[in-house]
Amino acid sequence: MRSLKKNFSRGIVRANPIFILLLGLCPALAVSTSLDNAVGMTGAFTFVLLAANIIVSLLREQIPDRVRIPVFIVIIATLVTIVDLMLQGFVPVLSESLGMFIPLIVVNCIILARAEAFASKNGMIDSIADAVGIGVGFGLAMLSISLVRQLFGTGSLDLFGRHLFTIPPLADNPVVFFLLPMGAFFVVGILLALFRWMGVSRSE
Amino acid sequence: MTQKNGFLPVLFLTAVVFVSVVALIATDAITREPIAAARRAAIYRRLQSLFPTMDDFAYDEESGLYTPFSEGDPLGLAFMAYTRGFGGTIAILVGLAADRTLRGIEIVSHRETPGLGARIAEPAFRDLFIGIEIDDIALSRDGGAIDGITAATISVEAVVEGVREAVSARLKHFE
Amino acid sequence: MSNLIAIFFSMALINNLVLVNFLGLCPFFGVSKKLSSAFSMGVAVLLVMLVASAVTWPIFHMLLEPHGMEFMRTVIFILVIASLVQIIEMTIKRTNLTLYNALGIYLPLITTNCAILGVAFINIDKTYGFLESLVAALGAGAGFTLVLIIMSGIRERLDLADTPQAFMGTPISLIVATLLGLAFLGFGGMI
Repeated sequence: MRSLKKNFSRGIVRANPIFILLLGLCPALAVSTSLDNAVGMTGAFTFVLLAANIIVSLLREQIPDRVRIPVFIVIIATLVTIVDLMLQGFVPVLSESLGMFIPLIVVNCIILARAEAFASKNGMIDSIADAVGIGVGFGLAMLSISLVRQLFGTGSLDLFGRHLFTIPPLADNPVVFFLLPMGAFFVVGILLALFRWMGVSRSE
Repeated sequence: MTQKNGFLPVLFLTAVVFVSVVALIATDAITREPIAAARRAAIYRRLQSLFPTMDDFAYDEESGLYTPFSEGDPLGLAFMAYTRGFGGTIAILVGLAADRTLRGIEIVSHRETPGLGARIAEPAFRDLFIGIEIDDIALSRDGGAIDGITAATISVEAVVEGVREAVSARLKHFE
Repeated sequence: MSNLIAIFFSMALINNLVLVNFLGLCPFFGVSKKLSSAFSMGVAVLLVMLVASAVTWPIFHMLLEPHGMEFMRTVIFILVIASLVQIIEMTIKRTNLTLYNALGIYLPLITTNCAILGVAFINIDKTYGFLESLVAALGAGAGFTLVLIIMSGIRERLDLADTPQAFMGTPISLIVATLLGLAFLGFGGMI
């Protein structure tokens, strides 16, 4: 039970995929313009990671060592395509705004890294805990980046069509910079420095 | 994981690929219809904002022309126009009424700068195209009917130019 | 011809892979500490990108599309790219040892580099022809190499600068990337 908790909480802070490991930065920066996108991306990412971890942990005794990486890649690519097709068919709005970054989950280094480093060496329950923990860590990072970008970039916050609140002076003169691609680099850089300053993560 | 040589690894990989293909064909069978329906619905929504009374539309793949219908009567024509803006290609859906006036434009996709060039997608700019004559598709400084947007000159010029070229290329379908 | 030139510069500068499309960020931050390794990485990516585009384009348009199998593209593309990287690595090792010593360690990393797969997808999504795809890949690779070199040049000087503790390493690199991106914004509207 204790190891389960450890495997779960590792991905949230101590080994946060985005802020600590700096893996999977591409989707984090590209689709973090709104909270909707952040939630959608986290959902797709966590589903693929969870399913890949489960399948790999169940097959870990059977997969021949020599072809394990190609096998992992095929499993992940299949899962990603399933998510991609499902989103296109049933949530077209989300599919359109996330665009290419759904199929690109396949080259997200975190998923292959977890399959190789964790799921192929641990049982199913531990692998589920690991995947959910990393999913939550990824989600928290995505939400904090997109919160800052949407708030400063538009002056108001919306989530799935529901209006949360508006900051009037900011809504009249939104800081468009935050919605630009460069704004993403800036926000992640500042947040990263902030977490280090607060002692959440170590400096280099 | 045990180290094994020979054909087993290759066989295993083949089996995994086979299962993957089966899973994907099954997913494709489930999602093919909804995806086609979702794409049609997206086009329907865009056409309807140009032709509010529309209740059906036809698409001719060869000419790339959409024909919106209201209770079976054609309302005009719509087609895509592509033009090069500030940050990349701008895709525009142009609606043309039967009386040779514009029914308006819809910006389908663009990569213009948020807050500057991206304002071409806002109603305040798009609505300028509604109801104007074909000959008036030009900026007001050139004697046309379209007012520009400050700090978005390149994007605005690209849209006006793209719409005008696409319209004149399609005019023969009206003869 | 003017269309091809436009695609090249659009991919290299205006819609730069790293700064605008957010592709290939891992090598951008991981391998930009030294100028020499940045250059090698850039060339390796350029090479693989070009070959990958030349191979994935016919696979999609001649095999998958005519049979209504477009949904297989992610699986097929990633397998093809992984095999290509292996083949290129072996070929370089056999034919040119100097080149292998320079690029060798970067090649395996490229398989999971989203820039390669991303450009292959862009070529399909933008319905580029074969020649246009090659030019797009060339432009994307050249743009990637360019910003990687600029970045490593700045970071080599940054090592000597008095950076606040919390900003050392990656955070300050991200801020530099911000400024670099703003500078590249000036290329917009060029074509």
